[in-house]
Order: sequence, then C-alpha cells, then structure tokens
Amino acid sequence: MPEIPRKWVGKSMKRKEDLRLLAGRGNFMDDIRLPNMKQAAILRSPYAHAWIKGIDISKALESPGVLGILTGAEVAKMSQPFPVGVSAPPKYYCCAVDKVRFVGEPVAVVVADNRYLAEDALDLIEVEYDPLPVVVDIEEAIKPGAPILHENIGSNIYNHRFFKYGDMEKACREADLVVKGKFKFPKYGSTPIETYGVIASYNPFSDEYVVYNNYQGPFVNHSLVAIALGIPENKMRWIVPADIGGGFGTKTGMYPYVALITLGAKKIGGTVKWIEDRREHLLASATGTDRVTYMEAAVKKDGTILGLKDKAIDNTGGYIRPPEPGCAYRSTGNHTGAYQIRNLDREVLVVGTNKCLTAPNRGYGCQELYFSLERLVDMVAAQLGMDPAEIRFKNFIQANQFPYTTATGGVYDAGDYPKAFQMALDMIDYKKIREEQKKARAEGRLMGIGLSSVVDPSVTNIAYVTIGKTVEERRQERPKSGSGESAVVKVDPLGGVHVMVCTNPQGQGHETVISQIVADEFGIDPKDVTVSNVVDTHDRLYSITTGSFSSRFASQGTTAVVRAARQVKEKMLKIAAHMLEANVEDMVLQEGKVFVKGSPEKSIRLRHVAGVAHWDQSALPEGMDAGLFGASLYSMPTSQPPDELDRVNSSNTYGFVAEAIVVEVEPETGQVKFLKWASVHDAGTIINPMIVEGQVMGSLVHALGGTLYEEFAYDENGQCLTASFQDYLVPTAMEVPKVEIGHLETPSPLTALGSKGTGEACSMSVPVAIGNAIADALAPLGVAIDELPLGPNKIWDLIQKSKKKK
Amino acid sequence: MKIEGTYTFSAPQARVWEVLNTPKHLQEALPGCEKLEEREPGKFDVYLKIGIAAVKGSYKGKMEIADAEPPHRTRLIGEGKGLPGFVKGEALIQLTPQDQNTLISYQGDVQVGGLLAGVGQRMIGGVAKMLLEHFFKNMEKILKLAG
Repeated sequence: MPEIPRKWVGKSMKRKEDLRLLAGRGNFMDDIRLPNMKQAAILRSPYAHAWIKGIDISKALESPGVLGILTGAEVAKMSQPFPVGVSAPPKYYCCAVDKVRFVGEPVAVVVADNRYLAEDALDLIEVEYDPLPVVVDIEEAIKPGAPILHENIGSNIYNHRFFKYGDMEKACREADLVVKGKFKFPKYGSTPIETYGVIASYNPFSDEYVVYNNYQGPFVNHSLVAIALGIPENKMRWIVPADIGGGFGTKTGMYPYVALITLGAKKIGGTVKWIEDRREHLLASATGTDRVTYMEAAVKKDGTILGLKDKAIDNTGGYIRPPEPGCAYRSTGNHTGAYQIRNLDREVLVVGTNKCLTAPNRGYGCQELYFSLERLVDMVAAQLGMDPAEIRFKNFIQANQFPYTTATGGVYDAGDYPKAFQMALDMIDYKKIREEQKKARAEGRLMGIGLSSVVDPSVTNIAYVTIGKTVEERRQERPKSGSGESAVVKVDPLGGVHVMVCTNPQGQGHETVISQIVADEFGIDPKDVTVSNVVDTHDRLYSITTGSFSSRFASQGTTAVVRAARQVKEKMLKIAAHMLEANVEDMVLQEGKVFVKGSPEKSIRLRHVAGVAHWDQSALPEGMDAGLFGASLYSMPTSQPPDELDRVNSSNTYGFVAEAIVVEVEPETGQVKFLKWASVHDAGTIINPMIVEGQVMGSLVHALGGTLYEEFAYDENGQCLTASFQDYLVPTAMEVPKVEIGHLETPSPLTALGSKGTGEACSMSVPVAIGNAIADALAPLGVAIDELPLGPNKIWDLIQKSKKKK
Repeated sequence: MKIEGTYTFSAPQARVWEVLNTPKHLQEALPGCEKLEEREPGKFDVYLKIGIAAVKGSYKGKMEIADAEPPHRTRLIGEGKGLPGFVKGEALIQLTPQDQNTLISYQGDVQVGGLLAGVGQRMIGGVAKMLLEHFFKNMEKILKLAG
C-alpha cells in the first residue's frame, strides 16, 4: 500500500474510551435492561464425576416466581452436542445430560422473575448422584485402568497425532549429545473484571432469537451454536455491546452458556438474563490448558541445535470443545521458536480429566511451548558449559533471512532477533551483572539471571485447528483457512467520517487507534472521526474469524480499516477530479482538502466532495453510485490451509520478545525478589505507544501471576480448591516489579501500517524467563526447575530437598 | 480431611451416654439443626442451616448411630447435601470416665464437595471443630438443665 504522511499514527494519543469508562458510563452486559426481562440461575454439580440418576424439579417449579426449569434431559432433546475438530469427539452439550464430569458443570437452569427467586428455587431441585472414581492427573488419565470419562470414546484421549518435519533421526545421528527434559505447565487462567453475561430473547411469532452477550470471538462459534441448537444462523442474532470488561481468551469459552440461556429463553418464550457470578467464573467458566511436555534437543558441541523431539500432553478437562485442540496446534508455525531448527518430531495427546474445561488463555499454546523450549535451551547451554545468551545467538534466525519459512510451515514476516535480544542484554548490563552474580555466589547469595527469546505469533490463520485431524480425514472435508476482519468507512453528507467495525475490544482501545489511523488517511483530526464498535450479526459485516483474539487487531483489524478508508478516498478523488476537471492520478488528499498536484490553489474541501456525493447526486461522474462508503473484509494472503505434510502458517504476523530478568531468591523464605527486568519487543510499527505499553504490562503481570501465584488447584476427589480470590491469588499492583521496556520496530510487509500484534507477548516470554532466572539462582544447589507456579513454598521445598541430598 | 479432639463433661458417663442418644437433645444441641427425625432406630433425617466460610446454606442429610457399645463408644455416620455442596463423614466417639467427669474423644474423616470445597476447604477443619465445640457446649447445658 502507498505510504502517506502520518501525523497521528505513532503518537501516544489519549484514549477516547477512557472518559466514559472513568465516569462509569460504559455499556457493559449488566447495564443492559430489556422489557420483561427474567433472570436465570444455574444449578451446578458438586461432584467431579458421577452418574445423574434422577432430577426432581417438582418442588422447585412450585417455588414463587419460577417460570421454567431446564434439565439436561430436556437440553438433549432441544439441542445437539457441539461439533469439535477431533476424530472421536465426546458428546458435549451446554448442560450435563446423564453424567457430570467436573465440579461446577451445569445440571439445570432455573428461570424466574428475578435472580433471588431463581437461586432460591435451585435449592429445591433434588438431584440424585451416583459418584464415580475420579481422575485429576494428566498422566494418570492415560494409564490403563484409569476411570473413563466418556464411554463412547473408551479412553480419556480426545486427540492423538504424530508429526514429522525434516529428519530428526538424522539430526540425532549427527548430534554430539541429546538433552532431555520433562516440563509441567499449570492450569491457570484469566480473571476478567467482567464475568460472562448473556441476555437472550425468543420471539415465538417470528421464531427468531436476539442474544446479547460479551463473547469475544471468534464468531465461528456463532455458527457452532446455531448448529448445536438447530437454529438457522440468520434467525439467531448476536449483539455484543461496545464495552467488555476484559477477555484474555477466557471469553472465547462462554458460548455454551450463550446456548444454554438461549434455550432458557425458548423455554419461557421470552427474555432471560444471566450474569455469571465470581465463584461460578472461577469454578466453571474456562481455564488455560495445562500441559506435560517431554522435550529433547539434538545438539552439536558448538551449541547448534539440529533438531527437537517433543511430546505434549494437553488437558482440556471433562470435555473437549472448540477452539480446542487449538492449544496443541496454535504454535505449529512457530514451534521451533526464534531458531534455525529444521528437524522436529512431534507427538500430541489431548486428554480429559475431571477438571474445569479450557479455553485460550493469553499466550494460548505458546506459553506452554516456550516454557519447555526455552528451559531446554538453558539446560543445553548448562550441559555444554555455554552462556545462555551465547547459545541463543548461535541459533537465531538472522535479519537477512526474512521472510523466513520454518520447518513447520510458518512464514515469519519480519524481524531482527539478534539485535532485539542484544538490546535486552544491554539494558541489564549483562556482562557486568554476570560479574556481580559471581560475587553474590561467593557470598552465598542466590542470585540468578534469566533470559528468553520468543517469537510471538499474531493473527491466527484458522487453518491450524484442522491439523488435529489427519491428512486423510482432512481430505474428506472442505479445507479451512483465513484470518479476515471487517471495517466499513462512511463519510456523511456534511463530511464527517464514521467507522463501523466489530473488532470486539475488551479494553484495548480500538476506538482510539482507529481514529488515529483514519485521521491520517483523510488528513483530518482524530476527534472528527467517530467509531462504532459493536458486533451485530445482523447489521455488521463479519465472518467466522471476527473478534479480538490472538492479538489480531493491531495488524488484521487496522489493515481492514485502512483498506476500507482507501476505497472511500479513491472515490472522493474521482469526484474531486471530475469537479476540478483534472486527472484523478494528479489528485492529492491532504489536511481535509483535495487539490491538483503542483497547483494547490485548484482545491476542493473534503466536505464539499461529500456534499456532492450526497446532496447533488446528479453531479457525480457517470455510472458512479451515490454516497461515500468503503467496506473491507480482508484476510491475509498468507492464511493458507495446511499442506499434505501438516505444515501450516498458523499465524500471519510474527513479533519477537526478549526478556532479561535478574532475581534473588531468599533462601530462608523461598521468596523471589526482582533486581532488574528488561523486556524488549518487536511488534512492528507502533501505532500508539501508550496503548502498547499497557498491553505489554498487562501481559507481563498476567504472566507473573501464572509464574508465581495463580493455579486452579484440585484435591484428589476433583474438588476445585480455588473458587474465590482468597485462594486463587492474582497479583496486585503491590507485586509488580519495576520493568524497563524497549522496542525495536521491524515493520511487517503484510499489514497496512507495518504493525504486528503484541497483546499476548509477555505471556509467552515471562514464565520461562522467570523460571530460567530462578533455575540460575538455585544452580549452585543442583535444583531443577521444571514446573510452575513457583510460589515460595515450592522454592523453599526445593531448597530443603537439595540440603537433604547433600 | 481428618478431624479429632476431646471434650470433658462434668457428668457421669452413663448420663452423658443417655443424653447423647436422645434424639430430642441431639436436635437441641446440633448447631443450626432445624429438624431431626428418627426414621428407624439409630437412623435420622437431619435438616441443618449453617454458614461455613461465607457459604451459607441449608443442608438435608442422613445421620446414623452405628456399632454402639453403651456406654463406651459409638460410630457416627453422616452425609448431607445442599446448594453449597455436600458433606460426608464418619467419626468414632469414645466416652471414658474420669472421676465424676466424662472425657469424650472423637476421630473422624470428612469429605466435602462443591462450592463448600471450592471456597471453604481451607477453613472446614477449623469450622468443624468450632461446630463440634458448640455441640458439646450445648450438650453440657442440656445435661445441667436436665439435672
């Protein structure tokens, strides 16, 4: 796309959203009140695994204000299980039918005049359970004799695949040594301020549904819910309000509740609202996917990594539902990270246990991958007696190799990894800090330096989810691919510019960023651009990839906005050329005016062009439609289906993050102190530095939680022990250390502005960087760090064990 | 989860045993007990309303007094469920005479599920002890009143 002068892009413009949010004038789910709106409450299973022998709702039905009750048996009559992309899918309905498989699974839903009456009626429902043995451990779940969750599958394995890229056997033969590790990534999640919310209306006269919800996308699940409920897609209108109080992936897992409340609306023939409470959210909404990884690296003595072998076992809990098994496959294109590794053997198992179901959690699939890969790189360095920085430099893809196609089919668009990594080292004064570490160790202090270098994929190509199926299975179906996002730009009769998008922001400031971009396109002020950002499946252009997930707005969403704006501009230039009797090629649009190149006195104001397009339609060039609008639903050309060798470009733009963290571990308490922290990012062209900083710090603190504090803990009976913020510890401002952020901007050739995504960056790079730092700190004790979270109790235990060994 | 403890009644063993085995007194002494019905000898339906760690709710359950060896020991088996979850447990209760007093010692195992476990598990040990303490204190009062 042609370059234009940029006055607003690149500036830390204050967010247009903030005034209304700070004044309490946002429009969230719970702010919506519809006429005759009733309320729902959900009865949930107290057992992790049990047969439902009977449900008696007779007393509850007589309870005051109760309008209707749905149980699993009725849900099974009204709907189908959700489709999911594995060869042997479990029957996952939006409500437990004959068996419960995790604590908190919906068993019945009561609709009543208000929430109090609905909750009271829950108390009167009698469920007879027949408890079954429970499995909570990933590896126990796949051992012979483990309790089976789904009789129709016959094992707890939802998905099992093998992949071969390059020739790992040859790599092993050529290697001087093979380094192996086993790593565990925990079940932690996102805890957005706003929980799930749904308001569903059923119109029995037109047989149509209107469903307000705060679903974050992708809108492929609108299709899936339509299929599961047997409702034609165009008869089920979803509307997502302009404000969502955080998503982070968790809200991609809420569609079963959208389906359940929609059925509730059908049951009473009216309007039903349900707002999830915090306990429900922590117990049963969606968590990140926990993983056990066995990984080995074949390496030369000089540090060259020739190949990797990787067996990952993902746990999606009581069922598997879309977008799973995505966690296992989202990293496909960037599975070898920032390195020139051409050989990879992969085995993927996705298994079930009696735990809460999963959904993407900021850094989906990549935090799990990099915790193993970047830990292993450090372990290789330690075995070779190399510096962990040196081994990374040895294996980095070089700046002159872009676009770089990885062994697994990823096409890295732009980057300079050695340069960005060096920036992070310089920011902590790496050489000097290593000297200081020597002194500290001599004094008996546990000081450690942790590094990580990760490729941060953004803009998912939906094709990747299909590699859960084999090549043969995929041949039976139409291929899937794409990353499209939409934008409509209109110019009104008085020259005002209006943008309509459905990028579904959850706090990322899309209104602001779109205003900056469009202001530059038309040479106007951002305050003169209005943005309407709601998803409405009836009134907006959308597709199955619509939504905010996989860090796609800054690159995919903005490109659609620019493309739509340029359609309008082209039309305006044509009209202006016609009016000025000039050649359209000679027309220039700047500062709200169109003029003939070289003769600025021959100009016409933008609002006059708009005026003609609307008020004097006969004055338009012959054959031209009236009005001024442009529309784009742009998908990146790099979004292709997987090939016959299971190679797939799983994302479209690829950023880079380098972390350099210095910690000191307090041996008496196991507490970790952060002494220095540099985080360097390459997100391509930065559109609004202030917003990028917010995203960086947000993902960093989120990752800090997963690394040190947060975990959904279960006892041996599958009881969740962390259903309140008393037990599920989320970091607060008090726990956030001082971090120095650096940027390198290598523009992406694929996006209109050169930008790449960045919302998940530190979620991928931080857990392992802290892990590496703690491992380095404890190295003198011979302690291995191979799992998270690393709370003081765990670190203290490790220190005590090492003392006993000695 | 294991619970255990002791309590000393200032009453003779036979008297304590008698009161402990009188359904009317059990109902009076059980904290939050709204109803206790003897279905058949030694087997009861219990209705409780209690709050544990900010989780308040009504529980309906069954209680059984088994393997009774008057006036020395008995086994208490119970299970209850309500909106906040379920509780299942078993305890061995022993009575030992100490001069004019009686020492009660109990050892039990309790399993909780649902919201109760999610929110309250950490506190349930403490809460169970507190509730038992209440129960014994109430029993003590009954013993005194009944003379």
